Amino acid sequence: MRRWLAAAGIVAAALVAGAAVTVGFALHTGFDRAADAADLPDVIARFAPQRRADVDERVRGLPNLESASYRYELNRVPLTFGRRHTHNGRLEILLGGRRGYEVVEGRDLSGRRGEVVVEQGVARSWGLHPGDTLEVGRAGGLRVVGVVVSPDNVAFPLAKTAKVYVGDLDDERSERIPVNQTLLWVNDRSRTDITLAAARTVAFGLGDLSFITRNGVRVTIDQAAGVVIALLVAFALVALVAAGTMLAAGAHAEVQRRLPGLGVRRALGFTPAGVVAGHARSALVLAAPAAAVGLGLGALAVGGPAEELLLALNQRPAGAALLGPLALAWLVVCGVVVAAASFPAWRAARRPIAPLLRGGELANRRPPRRASDDGLLTMGARFAVAARARWAGSVATIGVCAGVVLLMLGLASLLVQLRDDPAVLGKRYQLTVDARPEQLDSLRAIEGVQAATQRYTVQAADAFRLGEPVRLVAYEGDHVRFDAPPLAAGRRLRAPGEAEVGQGLADALGLRPGSPLATLDPRGRELRLKVVGVVRALDDSGRIAWVSAPTLLGADPGGFGQSVLRLEPGADRPAVIDRLRALGLAPVTVGGATTRNTAFLGILASVLRAVALAVGLVCLYALLQGLAMTARERRGALALLRACGASRADVAAVLTGAAAAVALPAALAAVVLERLVLGPAVTRLAASYAALPLRPGAAQIAAVTVGLLVLAALAAVAVAVRLAREPVVHGLREELP
Amino acid sequence: MAPVLRASGLVKTFGEGRAARRLLDGAELSVEAGELVAVLGRSGSGKSTLLHVLGGLDRAEAGRIEVAGERVDGASERRLAALRRRRIGFVFQFFHLLPELSGEANVRLAGRVRGAHPDAGRRADELVERLGLREVAGLAPSRLSGGEQQRFAIARALVNDPAVVLADEPTGNLDGDSGAEVLHLLRETADEGRALVLVTHDPAATAAADRVLHLEGGRLAAR
Repeated sequence: MRRWLAAAGIVAAALVAGAAVTVGFALHTGFDRAADAADLPDVIARFAPQRRADVDERVRGLPNLESASYRYELNRVPLTFGRRHTHNGRLEILLGGRRGYEVVEGRDLSGRRGEVVVEQGVARSWGLHPGDTLEVGRAGGLRVVGVVVSPDNVAFPLAKTAKVYVGDLDDERSERIPVNQTLLWVNDRSRTDITLAAARTVAFGLGDLSFITRNGVRVTIDQAAGVVIALLVAFALVALVAAGTMLAAGAHAEVQRRLPGLGVRRALGFTPAGVVAGHARSALVLAAPAAAVGLGLGALAVGGPAEELLLALNQRPAGAALLGPLALAWLVVCGVVVAAASFPAWRAARRPIAPLLRGGELANRRPPRRASDDGLLTMGARFAVAARARWAGSVATIGVCAGVVLLMLGLASLLVQLRDDPAVLGKRYQLTVDARPEQLDSLRAIEGVQAATQRYTVQAADAFRLGEPVRLVAYEGDHVRFDAPPLAAGRRLRAPGEAEVGQGLADALGLRPGSPLATLDPRGRELRLKVVGVVRALDDSGRIAWVSAPTLLGADPGGFGQSVLRLEPGADRPAVIDRLRALGLAPVTVGGATTRNTAFLGILASVLRAVALAVGLVCLYALLQGLAMTARERRGALALLRACGASRADVAAVLTGAAAAVALPAALAAVVLERLVLGPAVTRLAASYAALPLRPGAAQIAAVTVGLLVLAALAAVAVAVRLAREPVVHGLREELP
Repeated sequence: MAPVLRASGLVKTFGEGRAARRLLDGAELSVEAGELVAVLGRSGSGKSTLLHVLGGLDRAEAGRIEVAGERVDGASERRLAALRRRRIGFVFQFFHLLPELSGEANVRLAGRVRGAHPDAGRRADELVERLGLREVAGLAPSRLSGGEQQRFAIARALVNDPAVVLADEPTGNLDGDSGAEVLHLLRETADEGRALVLVTHDPAATAAADRVLHLEGGRLAAR
């Protein structure tokens, strides 16, 4: 039974480590795997349509260039499959050369007319497979021949656009088609900047020019997953420390139990090193299979959600590459177990032999300062607290685990809030419609609409570092009435020429209030702004800037405009939507982060909850282990209680007291830890682009506390049932005078 | 008078195979209310085992046991707990006082379990008083003498007013004076109408007994 319990502990600890390693490794390396598999280009240049021959002439002269391929990209192409439809399709016509994507289902384009390959995100969300027919704008029905992945962006619907590819035309036909996109592969990736600088020089005169590098893609995508990765790495460390503490406590108890046998060996002439080696061997025999099982279970438990997450990011699951990190984790877990088992054996083996033969306490325990007259629960609490070092270790272990659970639950509910509640991000409008400015008065007249205004957005890039995209947003009037992300520094914008920038952009460009910001819009026009405030925003990973409408429209009169509607509190939203539809408009309900991110946030929340569940299991094991050790040490006292007529319920009450003496301080420690350490640390991690209100709510604190007490009661009942199976006299024999 | 404790055909074996030893082999015993029976025997003859089996602390392989008209053999663990709570009191050689509790709290302990005697609290006060333990009632066991510890243990055994008291070498760990004091208390306990079985090596204990039985070859016999 003891060996099974110890093995269960190792399995639990390894399970948590396996879960953390799986998600952490998969997310950390997913982009590189996908980029390698897809042969992602090192630089993607977009520009206004040109003759291919002209572009090719400029590209061929670039230094460090290995190869290039050309495409013609069409945006806002309607795509339809059955009842699925989007106006935001991106049609890429391939004009020969390397692809930059990986075919994951079906086959690649053959050059025949009527074929299309679709990106995996579209295929997954629409249920498309090779053989289906997809309506692609004016091209009509095209037969899907393959599904591809290109990690140059996150997948649809997390990305706005649904990408499909056609073409691979013969030279004669492709010569007639202009190009607006070049994919460049370099010989030496460390010298990409030289190629990029030369490309900027030779690109003089090309309109709407923008570059994105492979590294830029990685940074953008990693930033989105960065919080999760950092959390999981931190969590894996916490799990290993918790596992080490638990295993050390278990090993201590095991050595305590085997003291007489250990004494006999020493009396027979075994050296301390020989005794320790025996313990280490026996621990390894137990740890090796248990750690393997735990790591495997952990990897399996989070494998599904992690894969979903990677697919949403257009990245590649780890597959067999995960075996290496898992093997390393297996070595670490086995090492921790062996060390934890060997150290108390080493301490014990160096003691005089006579006390060992008597089975005396491994640690000298001080008698209580004062005797008392307690009930059964309090008596149990005294039993638990008597072994102070172990009690403190158990409280620390369970406190840290419960703190992590609290954090995970907080994060999960925050993500759900982000998904469902736009107000979390400072959005104060609930509906958007593609309406003309002159329709605003009729929108404001709709019952339930409190305010309406026009919002303009322009996709731009930093004028000095073209790899840094920035979305410019402007509202007619005071933007704070409709969009008020929390201000991190400086003030709100008040005048033309001023900008509030997202924290993500501020971090990327080193901006602060007073800094100048120069942007280039897609047509190459420069807009110079003065940063007056830095705000925390999730949209576009914080690479966003709010400017005044005259500033934006002065630079780009064709900026994309949309009407935003703020509803009155308690307004009948469906009725408002009906009225808008009656006006011939297509209203869109505003979600949290953005409506297209809902699935992604849902996946993240489920990953976090799965991890929280795994940590909860660790708490249960730690409670069981601590309680079993207390019951083991106080077996005589519990037998005496039974001799006095105590029933199983009375014994369970004593053990519940012992478990509660650990669980309650652990719950308190968890709340303090989350409030003072974990919450602020995670908020700092995320502060690069968003403010996360991570203070645990009363409901979460209550859930964790009640959960711990329920686990304590479960552990108490389990141990009491086991105790009740043995005759009372067995325990009495161990009660030493 | 009907016996309060009755046992017959008790069999209990320890060890396995060639090492197996039958410590009880058809042992029979009958003790009436108010009777103090001393059981003697060599070390390892099975005296303590007999008490454990009689009190439901261990189970016999065969035989029938009745305490105050209730069957002990074959009873469920729940039933055995109730029997130990209300019908049987134990006194051990090494006192078995819990070190976290004061002497008095150890006495009250038996009254804290569910289903204990409704007057257990009052009886605990009376017993502490009667056994002359009031002055040391608040002290931890480690600060009590052996005689005081055993008196607290006897008080604990009597808190629930049991019909049967089983004492395992109660004087084995005490000096002569303290041992005599404890034997006197046990005699008083029997005189109050309880059946008392005393396992001992102490010749002085036999003097206090109404009957003396010897355990030999797994059976009890008078000499």
